[in-house]
Amino acid sequence: MRNEYVSRRSSTQTSWSRNRNMVRHTGGSLGTLSLSAILAMLLLVVGLIYLTQGAKATSYDYELSGMDNEISELTAQKEDLAVEKARLTSVAAAETSQVAANMEDGQVSGYASE
Amino acid sequence: MSRIKLLRYGLLIAVGIIAVRLFVIQIFQHDEWVARAEAEHTSQNTIIAKRGEIYMMEGDEPVPVVLNKAGWMVIVDPKVANEEKTERAISEIAGDKVVAKWEDVFKDKTRRYYVVARNVEREQVKKLKEKKLAGVYYQEGNSRVYPEGEMASGLLGFVNAEGKGQYGVEGSLNDQLGGKNGLLKTITDVNNVALSIGDDNVRIPAEDGKNVVLTIDRTLQRKVEKKLAEYLSTSKANHASAVVMDPRNGKVLTMATIPNYEPEKYAEVKDGNLFLNQIVDVAYEPASICKTFTFAAAVEEGVMTPETTYNNTGEITVDGWPIKNAHSGQLGVISMQTALNYSLNTGSMTALMLLGGSKSEITKTGREKLFDYYYNHFGLGQATGFELSESTGLIQEPNKGYGLNSRYANMTFGQNINLTPLQVAAAFSSLINGGEYYAPTIIAGEMKDGKFVKAEEKKSVRRTVTEKTSETMRAMIWGTRGLQRLYGIDKPGYYIGGKTGTAQGIKDGAYTFDETTGSYVGFGGRDGELPEYVIMVKIWEGGQTLEGTADALPLFNLLSDTVIDHLKIKPKEQ
Repeated sequence: MRNEYVSRRSSTQTSWSRNRNMVRHTGGSLGTLSLSAILAMLLLVVGLIYLTQGAKATSYDYELSGMDNEISELTAQKEDLAVEKARLTSVAAAETSQVAANMEDGQVSGYASE
Repeated sequence: MSRIKLLRYGLLIAVGIIAVRLFVIQIFQHDEWVARAEAEHTSQNTIIAKRGEIYMMEGDEPVPVVLNKAGWMVIVDPKVANEEKTERAISEIAGDKVVAKWEDVFKDKTRRYYVVARNVEREQVKKLKEKKLAGVYYQEGNSRVYPEGEMASGLLGFVNAEGKGQYGVEGSLNDQLGGKNGLLKTITDVNNVALSIGDDNVRIPAEDGKNVVLTIDRTLQRKVEKKLAEYLSTSKANHASAVVMDPRNGKVLTMATIPNYEPEKYAEVKDGNLFLNQIVDVAYEPASICKTFTFAAAVEEGVMTPETTYNNTGEITVDGWPIKNAHSGQLGVISMQTALNYSLNTGSMTALMLLGGSKSEITKTGREKLFDYYYNHFGLGQATGFELSESTGLIQEPNKGYGLNSRYANMTFGQNINLTPLQVAAAFSSLINGGEYYAPTIIAGEMKDGKFVKAEEKKSVRRTVTEKTSETMRAMIWGTRGLQRLYGIDKPGYYIGGKTGTAQGIKDGAYTFDETTGSYVGFGGRDGELPEYVIMVKIWEGGQTLEGTADALPLFNLLSDTVIDHLKIKPKEQ
């Protein structure tokens, strides 16, 4: 008859204590350090995206500001030209123009003397 | 105690202090620091509304007569600026815009702000900035430009240094022309560029002022002013005004006063009276012109016709006061037409008596009826409904006060009553246009996105007299110009009428002939048709006697011909 050794410990306990090199295969999990590193990298990426977007928005703002300035400048130039045109076409300017100076005196209008 | 422990305690205390300080800043002083931060990052600017432009009519097209232009103010800090260099540079580049005396600018160096030039143009500022002058600053603003120069200055008014319209159209329509400023509040960067980040950005766009189009005919305005100036150069008067209206709709075609001033240089004007629009701002006694209204009331009431006669004794005593004619002739029994032709005061007083049902005295009923016609029918002594501010004038009520009969006797020939030339012209228009009173108007519409949007045509406000009375009065008023027709002043084919007025000045509380104002109101148009224009002229000078017949009538004749030519009114074929 073969004597069989029966451990009073539970089989699990026995196997762990007997063979310390045993590897327990569990579902893939990361260590605290890795997780921290990944989180930091993610935050960095998000930060970079935010900064990129912010910079992009700012560059648009600069573009807009430039356009606004251009519009203001052109509007001002348009106003200046409108003023110049109004001055040149004013009755006073027309009276003192060279064209007016070269004109001959008009005769009494026909309709007024008929 | 070990050093490490000391360090620990030291650090703990330092951290504690920081924590307490942060707590105070973030909790107790939260609002203050937020405000500071906002002030640092936020830029808040007023978006200045563009002031509306003013247009006049040239044919059917509106043309601008008042515009805006960017203009800079040049400010000098005498403590910092180099006297010689600054003066030379500014005088060379923008000498025409300098408003300060250089010797005054650098006299007081404790004064850190001295405006040396105004309305400096873009190119001039550019050149000045290139010089990099220390202690010289530039402030941008808007300046008003009047390309027609002095023309219609009394009508247009000006805009003061604060950007507020003063007098005339600029003053009266300041709210419409001024628009509403907007607001721009944004987060900015170090270059003061507005950034779109931030939740509190605010942009309220400015509402630009209305571009107003006036009914004024630009060329006619110029021609009338030129005629007034030419006429004054040969007259003893230095002041004259004229208003030209279309009696068929109340549109004001010309509103002129001489002398004028440069609205862009309003600060140089020494006589404040030049700012007044004499046609609407100043009420005066138009004198015998009012006889037309008195006679119209009597005709309308059926108590008088042009042929009605009375005995002209040269004067009528009222309340113990003898009221005389200015013209001493035409004594005896004469017609009302003759009384109007010779502008006899006894004629208009007789009309008042007839209005009250008497032939020999002025009665309460007569006074009440005259007041009713003057005030309620013809709108005299009250605002006309014109779009610009106007003087209401003054009219004596029929049953209030003392000496009412003599006052009303005077009112029949335009004394003891204060009216503006516009009131008279509007009332006179109704007298000769068939009896319809149109409130005088100067607004033709507005310019919107470069297009002319016409204002609604004004309708008759009320009837002043019947068509028949209007026809009678037209003929009576035409009758006064017999001499003008005889001497060919009134061209054949045209139907022209009018009435003179010579208002006595007041000296020491009594009327005097030492200083008088001449007036004339008349109409004209193609013979056989309703009149196409009404002209009211006024000519005056302190210490001078200007008369309706001798001074205002020839001026009317000049203007009447000008209007006929300008409006191309064809004569009736003879």
